[in-house]
Amino acid sequence: MSLKPMPEMTEISKPFWQGLNEGEIRIQQCNACEGWVFYPRRHCTHCLSHDLEWKPVSGKGTLYSYTLTRIPTLPEFADEMPQALAVVELEQGVRVNTTLVGLEEDEIQVGMALKPVLDQVDAKGNTLLRFTAADKALDSLPYENPLDSLPRNDKGQVQVGVDNPVALQALVSDQFTDWSNSIVVDQELINAFAELSGDNYWIHTDPERAAKDSPFGTTIAHGALVQILQSRLTFALPFEITGFQTMVNYGSDRLRFPSPVPAGSEIQARARVKSVQQSRKGTALTLEVNIHVVGNDRPSVINDLVILYR
Amino acid sequence: MGLRGDAAIVGAAQYKPEKYATAPQMFHLEQVADLASRALEDAGLKASDLDGLVINGPQFHEASVFVPAMAAEYLGIELNFAEVVDLGGCTPVGMIWRAAAAIEMGQCEAVLCVIPMRMAPFGPSEDPAWMARAMRFGGHSTAYGAPEAEFDLPYGHMGQNTGYAMIAQRYAAQYGYDPEAMAKICVDQRTNAQANPDAMFYGKPLTVEDVLGSKMVADPLHVLEIVMPVAGGAAVIVTSRDVAKRTKHRPAYVKGFGERLSFKSPSYANDMTVTPVAAAAKRAFEMAGVKPQDMDAAQIYDCYTITVLLSLEDAGFCPKGEGMRFIKENDLTFKGNFPLNTHGGQLSFGQAGSAGGFSQVIEAYTQIAGRADARQLKRCDQVFVSGTGGVMSEQGALILQGG
Repeated sequence: MSLKPMPEMTEISKPFWQGLNEGEIRIQQCNACEGWVFYPRRHCTHCLSHDLEWKPVSGKGTLYSYTLTRIPTLPEFADEMPQALAVVELEQGVRVNTTLVGLEEDEIQVGMALKPVLDQVDAKGNTLLRFTAADKALDSLPYENPLDSLPRNDKGQVQVGVDNPVALQALVSDQFTDWSNSIVVDQELINAFAELSGDNYWIHTDPERAAKDSPFGTTIAHGALVQILQSRLTFALPFEITGFQTMVNYGSDRLRFPSPVPAGSEIQARARVKSVQQSRKGTALTLEVNIHVVGNDRPSVINDLVILYR
Repeated sequence: MGLRGDAAIVGAAQYKPEKYATAPQMFHLEQVADLASRALEDAGLKASDLDGLVINGPQFHEASVFVPAMAAEYLGIELNFAEVVDLGGCTPVGMIWRAAAAIEMGQCEAVLCVIPMRMAPFGPSEDPAWMARAMRFGGHSTAYGAPEAEFDLPYGHMGQNTGYAMIAQRYAAQYGYDPEAMAKICVDQRTNAQANPDAMFYGKPLTVEDVLGSKMVADPLHVLEIVMPVAGGAAVIVTSRDVAKRTKHRPAYVKGFGERLSFKSPSYANDMTVTPVAAAAKRAFEMAGVKPQDMDAAQIYDCYTITVLLSLEDAGFCPKGEGMRFIKENDLTFKGNFPLNTHGGQLSFGQAGSAGGFSQVIEAYTQIAGRADARQLKRCDQVFVSGTGGVMSEQGALILQGG
């Protein structure tokens, strides 16, 4: 459910979130005064010492207070209604803002004994700390990838309806596709593009002068040429968007040419879904396409391509 | 310790609360100038009398820094004292005592305390829909590294409603809970609003059944126990005793104040049911040398009914845990034995953002000055005023006394 706000861990809080992801609840204790501290900080809230140590704890506690919401606090939480928002006091005395899970409304009482439930909320393993009654069997909530239940086409791509915002968000990933096929950008191709576009600057078209005067020691391809060669580079997206009337190339949110493509280079491409946003205009899927010279870690083209479905 | 009581509220101006959709849109600087001229007129003072300014920094439309200098330049006044206050709904109370303290220190003679809360016009390149989205987290910071962004929002903890609801649930578990008593706060205040033509809910009486039958928002809070956000804004003029002598109406001297804060989320309060106003009110009463029972009226910040209940108890108007009984046994209307929020409270008057607390300050002044028309108390010499920001996060108290 990545539509909900997600925690963005900091250097300070990393041990807490990483602990949850690894199935362990860790909070800080002060070595100077033995006071416990939550949420994570650089200093002790009891004595201001900076000598804090992360300690694994059971996560057992009691319900300090709670409320059941009858109107979602944000539209994204409509699936949790009523949200059982809770303040839990851990055995160590610190309080945690959280939610209760696996309980009927009439089972909830201020002061009740609670135990932690580790709730994995995305495919990356990000985990939130929720709670349930101490006598319940529930210990964790495994992640259910919204893409897993969707059909696949004959290419093996998962079919995501344009009207399925949760599944669309699950497409967003830091992981790029596998590399595409590769092609060679030779001088002949560069010359043809120079002729077509009218951009016949010597740095692209005059190998002799480029050998002498260019910082690259050879001619290089036009950035715009490498950008459009994307059409010859086929990368396999793991999904197919379905259920739309029209699909248009809406343009680019970002277009950069961070490194040159010397004439004769072999190039390849890969992509990832950077974001999916819904607006009155439709569903905008931003595909970050990177084109590299084979063997170069630095991309030659970064193109955040916006595809608009409606 | 504290104030001598030589600074006074001598005039005020307050926009009649209106729905955002139909209220006039004005730049905040424009509202500051408009409210200033109305408040000066009300007091019988001139712009050249002003030499101090206390203004809101947060949510000021035309600037986020250098707000006082920008406002002074726009007004065309020279200041010996300039201050920004950032205490949410407690800002007006915080402004009044800061102005009084600066005056008593001899720093200045006449201070404009002002919060503009009508919407500013949208610029040609501003998208109202985008701005509405940017506002959707309300008072919650979404900045990287903000504890609430990292530890509250992912769980759906957000907004004021649920924080106040959790305080109420904790209170209920410790002391018991009587929904009818809570509804009576709304009903008595609504009765007061029927004598205040400026109130949002003037002409719309209310019953206990209406409150208890209204939609539950977050247990145990019904929608009618929650303030309605409105467009508005207000200004108050605080002056020295010398200046106060040449104003038009009976001044309300600032005899005592207190302020207390230690958390933003009430989850981290030592005890959720002992609110910061306890310490703030104790200090204010001690400074003024008076007691809760000496007050002729209480203007208690009322973003929610639970705020009123806890403030009544923690400020010392009734013992801890007996607030519900106190509410049921007393007539809280302007005709009653314990006049509370005689303008209707924000629950019936409307809450103009962080200017909402000015409605309590201005009502206290108006009653002391004998200018409250149909809802005027027979005797009103001393009034307790409280302010509350965030989720009982920052609270303040004032004791005002007629000159």
